[in-house]
Amino acid sequence: MYSRAYKAAVALPPLFWVALFLLLPYSLLFAHSFWSVASGAIVRQWSLHNYAELAHNWMYAQVLFRSMKIAGAVTLLALLLGYPLAYYLSFCAGPQKQLLYQLVIVPLWVSYLVRGYAWKTILGSDGVLNGFLQYLGIVSTPVEFFLYSPFAVVLTLTHIYTPFTFLPLFASLEHIPRHLVEASQDLGASPRVTFWRVIFPLSLPGLLAGATFAFVLTLGDFLAPLLVGGPSGIMISNVVVSLFGAAYDWPLGAAISVCMLLLVVGILFAIERLEKRWSFH
Amino acid sequence: MKRAALILLLALAVAAMTSCSKQKAVTLSLLVWEGYADPSFVRVFEETHQCKVVASYMGSSDELVAKLRGGSASNYDVISPSSDVATTIAGSGLAAPLEMSRIPSYPQLSQKLRELPLVRINGKIYGVPFMWGPNPLLYDTSALSRPPESWSIFWDKKYRGKISVWDDLSTIYMAAQMLGFDKPDPGALYNLTDEQLEQVRKKLLELKPNVRKMWATGGELTNLFQNHEVVAAMGWPLMTNQLRKLNYPIGETIPRENTTGWMDHLMVTAASEHKELAHAFLEYMIQAKTQKLLADVTGYVPANPGAAALMTTDEKKSLHLDDPDAYMARIYFWQDVPRRNKYNEVWNAVKAAQ
Repeated sequence: MYSRAYKAAVALPPLFWVALFLLLPYSLLFAHSFWSVASGAIVRQWSLHNYAELAHNWMYAQVLFRSMKIAGAVTLLALLLGYPLAYYLSFCAGPQKQLLYQLVIVPLWVSYLVRGYAWKTILGSDGVLNGFLQYLGIVSTPVEFFLYSPFAVVLTLTHIYTPFTFLPLFASLEHIPRHLVEASQDLGASPRVTFWRVIFPLSLPGLLAGATFAFVLTLGDFLAPLLVGGPSGIMISNVVVSLFGAAYDWPLGAAISVCMLLLVVGILFAIERLEKRWSFH
Repeated sequence: MKRAALILLLALAVAAMTSCSKQKAVTLSLLVWEGYADPSFVRVFEETHQCKVVASYMGSSDELVAKLRGGSASNYDVISPSSDVATTIAGSGLAAPLEMSRIPSYPQLSQKLRELPLVRINGKIYGVPFMWGPNPLLYDTSALSRPPESWSIFWDKKYRGKISVWDDLSTIYMAAQMLGFDKPDPGALYNLTDEQLEQVRKKLLELKPNVRKMWATGGELTNLFQNHEVVAAMGWPLMTNQLRKLNYPIGETIPRENTTGWMDHLMVTAASEHKELAHAFLEYMIQAKTQKLLADVTGYVPANPGAAALMTTDEKKSLHLDDPDAYMARIYFWQDVPRRNKYNEVWNAVKAAQ
């Protein structure tokens, strides 16, 4: 048995950490969302004014909805790319598994910004892709929707977040007992039936975890719209950035952040329940 | 073995850190517009004052104010607010009153600029006039053979997806000019009514299909031109200068509606821990010699008329120093916007629209 002092000594640092870096900032954010700004200073008077503004001005809901649409598209694409990749690595790659796994992870070592700028170089009017298409004679003038468009935002974010869907998918596929797959085959199930009746249901927790990563991280993204997004593609975090960074309306920015936080926590709760229901233990 | 390597690494790291702290050169931090911390003039100051000058750049006046108010005032020693927020910053205690005895070159500055009430509060002076200039229309001369006569080409269907505007209230002023709200009094641009702002919002929504990208930094607009993403934009003379140096076919003009512009001041932040050095920097930056170098880099008009004596006739001409009053008359200088929040709200609504 550990002594009480030992237990306290072990528990204190993480508690301190959580209090200082999670509870305190979140409380500050929460408090700010009820305050207001008057003549360039934050006034600590409690009111629901900011939330009323969010409910009343439907621009915010519109941008949030657009962000969710982009996040949904990115999640879907990242899963469509990540799942076959994870499946191949787990079931078919053989001795190359480790090497391929590292290759999937390598892009994560490159800074987000560098990857954003790389897409700019590829997709631009003078970019690699347009140059190639013009060289082949497929188009005569540069295709403009490649860059500074919702398309560019979805593409960039999909590239960035596919490894995040791949990792949990790969982990859950690796954990599927191979004798279950063999049993299915021995009992005469075709590969397709084995996949849909055995492998896919068992990979659902990984799928959910990957989808959550992609959706939540995309929803809060502001760099991709800034770098490769068009004049009409801003996402909800860009609104928060401009409220904090230009308009000095921290309270309204905080109110949006609190709403986002609640939305994300809600999603996480729902996913956790689904995961419990679908996991095979 | 592994542990030994780790200890060695730690020891090296500690050694590296202590050796750094031994030198301990004073660092002067600037939060200024792009072009105001070019090595061509900053290096000499660093050498003579045995210090290091580190610059951050602001993308808009609002960004400057939000940063200072948001508590990062103590991170910066010198700022370069424009005429729209200079009074706000001076009046809200974010800037320190200047000790004029430490800035002996001050009387050399243009009297007209010194007499502006912008940075004088209760008899104290909070900033030195620095540089001024317009927000001109920049255009790619290979796409537009003649200088556009009006800002209305931004709305021309011919240039769909080929225009860039500044992610700043200046774009609101420009649209308001197009709607004629600057007549008879150009100052009205900075105090539009709700009804006028609503018309401006609609006018800007019509502009959006033509906008390829809104630029947030000078470097971004330069890149947009270089990569042939846009053919016309509202910009700064700094970008014209930079693009010309790159041999890019860039033209600069002030259309017939005239344009908005700015007078920048240099200020010392109230929270600065290096006020003496900051004053020395202000003094250095307004000396005729430095102002000439600044004009070379930025293409802005120096506040010190003495800089003109160091220029060739061509240089003077390109800065309109041969007839500065006529040039000034075409620029509606930014003023304090009493309802800046409302303006920002309208601008955000324009950006958020589909």
